[in-house]
Amino acid sequence: MVSSPRLIKNGSPGRAFSVLCGCLAVGLLMLSLAGCKQNESNVRPGVLTVAQEQQSSWVRNFHPFLPMGVARWGTSAGIYEPLMIFNRMTGEYVPWLATSYAWRGNAEALVFTIRDGVLWSDGEPFTAADVVYTFNLLKENPALDTGGLWAYLSSVEADEEGRVVMVFSRPYSPGLMSLAQLPIVPQHVWSKLEDPITFTNPNPVATGPFTEVLSFESQVYELGRNPRYWKEGYPKVEALRFPAFPTNEQVTLALINGELDWAGSFVPAIDRIYVAKDPEHHGYWFPAVAGSVYLYPSQWVDDFHDGRVRKALSLALDREMINRVAMYNYTRLPEPAGLSDGYAKWRHPDIRPGDGWVHFDPAAASRLLDEAGYRRSGEAGIRVGPDGNPMSYEISVIAGWSDWVRACQVMARNLQAVGIDAKVKAYDFTGWFEKVQRGEFELSIGWADDGPTPYRVFRGIMATETVKPFGENTYVNWHRFGNQEADDLLTHFERTVDFAEQQKIAWRLQEIYIEEAPAIPIFLNPSWGEYNTRRFVGWPTAENPYVRLSTNHPPEPLIVMTRLQPAPVSATAQKGDMQ
Amino acid sequence: MNRSVEYLLRRLGFYALAAWVAITLNFLIPRMMPGDPAQIMFARFKGEMSPAAIAALRETFGITDAPIWQQYFTYLRHLLSGDLGVSVSNFPEPVVSVIATGLSWSIFLAGSALIISFLVGTSLGALAAWRRGGLLDSITPPLLALLGAFPYFWMAMLALFIFGFGLGWFPLWHAYPEGTSPGLNLPFLLGALYHAALPAATMVIASLGGWMLAMRNTMVGILGSDYITYARARGLAPRRVLIRYAARNALLPNITGFGMALGFVLGGALLTEIIFSYPGQGYLLIQAVRAQDYPLMQGLFLTITLAVLGANWLVDIVTLMLDPRTRR
Repeated sequence: MVSSPRLIKNGSPGRAFSVLCGCLAVGLLMLSLAGCKQNESNVRPGVLTVAQEQQSSWVRNFHPFLPMGVARWGTSAGIYEPLMIFNRMTGEYVPWLATSYAWRGNAEALVFTIRDGVLWSDGEPFTAADVVYTFNLLKENPALDTGGLWAYLSSVEADEEGRVVMVFSRPYSPGLMSLAQLPIVPQHVWSKLEDPITFTNPNPVATGPFTEVLSFESQVYELGRNPRYWKEGYPKVEALRFPAFPTNEQVTLALINGELDWAGSFVPAIDRIYVAKDPEHHGYWFPAVAGSVYLYPSQWVDDFHDGRVRKALSLALDREMINRVAMYNYTRLPEPAGLSDGYAKWRHPDIRPGDGWVHFDPAAASRLLDEAGYRRSGEAGIRVGPDGNPMSYEISVIAGWSDWVRACQVMARNLQAVGIDAKVKAYDFTGWFEKVQRGEFELSIGWADDGPTPYRVFRGIMATETVKPFGENTYVNWHRFGNQEADDLLTHFERTVDFAEQQKIAWRLQEIYIEEAPAIPIFLNPSWGEYNTRRFVGWPTAENPYVRLSTNHPPEPLIVMTRLQPAPVSATAQKGDMQ
Repeated sequence: MNRSVEYLLRRLGFYALAAWVAITLNFLIPRMMPGDPAQIMFARFKGEMSPAAIAALRETFGITDAPIWQQYFTYLRHLLSGDLGVSVSNFPEPVVSVIATGLSWSIFLAGSALIISFLVGTSLGALAAWRRGGLLDSITPPLLALLGAFPYFWMAMLALFIFGFGLGWFPLWHAYPEGTSPGLNLPFLLGALYHAALPAATMVIASLGGWMLAMRNTMVGILGSDYITYARARGLAPRRVLIRYAARNALLPNITGFGMALGFVLGGALLTEIIFSYPGQGYLLIQAVRAQDYPLMQGLFLTITLAVLGANWLVDIVTLMLDPRTRR
């Protein structure tokens, strides 16, 4: 292998494409930096333009149970609504089609009280029967149950008071989010379908704020207001408009041009290229609540069986530099237990920043490695382990994910500084994903499982239950780390619905995590979100964080859509002055 | 004439064989890729699906664990009935209809750019060689070669910046104006032409030099040959000599090139489509790769392969008409 971590040289199509995208990005950046006139937009007043999904043309599909990217974004953010929406910023469940939920026993059953007075967009009343029908539709058509709800459900029925009772086949409190957020479909429409799996649902009947498909062309589609929407006087937005943009760069251009009101994309150097164009109206908010990015040391490598080595790897990393070089300083450094800001209320009260091993301290890293028996040797100063093998590892990364590639390059240099011969190797997505899922890698950057509570995070990082043999595919725990005590704690967590008790479990899990260092947090993932107040106001911001601004986490955008107001007239007048 | 038919049939047989090889490779390659396509497909469900759900979806997507030869025959049978399967990233849309969304735009944009570029480039080349050392001959080839040597994306972006963003003469994205509906109506047709103008212009400028230089160089060689001197000496009209005798023969290599390029039109113009947010095959292909949508990828490759083969066969026919030697 070539020792230089220069990725651009080897020409796989993925890399060529990433180079190309990089060039495009730089080019469009140049375009945007140069002064330019504002193109007059031909959008009707009251229409909100959103950039979502990278597509060159739209395929008409509003099927609510297909994954994002297959059905149009509006399906789960505007058309269909869930019982409740988990709000990542507040950590609370926002009542939506259900007004409240209650547990029965210890996570043995879940009862939702259904909202009164909600109508389907065709005028039929929405009832508990629709909810019951929706859940049973998934039971009868396992292909639609992509969230695996029926793995822990045993029955869903309405009681005589019109509430929906979901009985579990085993106590499973983490199921709340998936159950609460399932889009609810009308029984009177869906029960008449021949094949609910291949139904493209061109003209949806739903309860959401935007149910009317006003137009659907391959390049742009519009969703109009639901005349029967249950939230009195809302939405104040007339219609949603979705132009198709194939790449992030096109979205950036449209943002700068003032054509977009709302987007959730990565924009490089955003203060300079977007906000500075129109500081009065252009804004963004990137809260670091979307989980963390980790460096995984696989148990496939014998050296990584030693916790001291794993901690040393972490102490060697200069995360400030990674944030600066790879992330435009958009994010924050992780806490000692690696939990993102989305888990603020779960953080251990006695763990302070600087505890543990998630800070930059190369001297301590060297000390730990010396202690573990890895001594520097030879001219290059590469450490050699007790077994006589040099510490030489490959960091796997996805070619074309340029922020991750840059982060890995910084990490490789950091590790070299403490005597570890680390090289970056970029694979195309399929190859990388296969490799990490099988666990047959040395070091790899990667995401982690995410959820409303730290349950899923820690389950995916250190539960024995998720440890699969090397060579077998698994979605979580790629590095194959298991801890018996964590298993017991997680099982406990599943069986309790008491917040104080869950919190205590989460604290203990964090202590174990810090003792064991199973995976190394690098940075917190920001939730990308950009807005323009020229036509609409009331966006969530750092000052008014009622929900995430990002469009990327349906159904949360429903909360934003039903809060937005048309911009006051004075702001529109200013628009004239600006040109 | 009989010989011509025999020649064409022989070529056709060769293309049929090539098509079969391409179809078979198209079947095999995704199955030899690292990573199980089915696994990757289900990865987007974050591993939450139950085995029953995965089995149900596998069935819907048409993924089976049947022996490979059996899969191969099923694939061939579906192919013959025009069924390329279901696009995973656009489920439940069939691959055929997903390709249809991009195909006409690719043919329109890349096709018209190619034809314009070929016609203009070849004529300029012929003229430049005819008036060798003239103004056209001394200025255009180096200029066009220079333009053609620029990285295409750079030039296209510059054009987008100056004429689209800065001066506002051309639209920044998409293939037709918002508010018009595709069909035979004037606002749509005019709008589509307007939207295609800038991307097509960049493609023409980038490729013009190639056609012109190739034509000019062949022409220069041919103009020096005895039969042209003879034709001139016989006092044939210069126009007639230029078109009927010199250009006709010099055209042959360019026609072959044109055929190749015509086939690749169906592959779309990747960079153009990205820079100008223009719908088409090239972008569909990227999207298919990004989403590990193997059925869509296979469909696109198949379209491109068949188009290249078809175009080559057409070139054979045209060559047969232009070049009597092939008839012998």
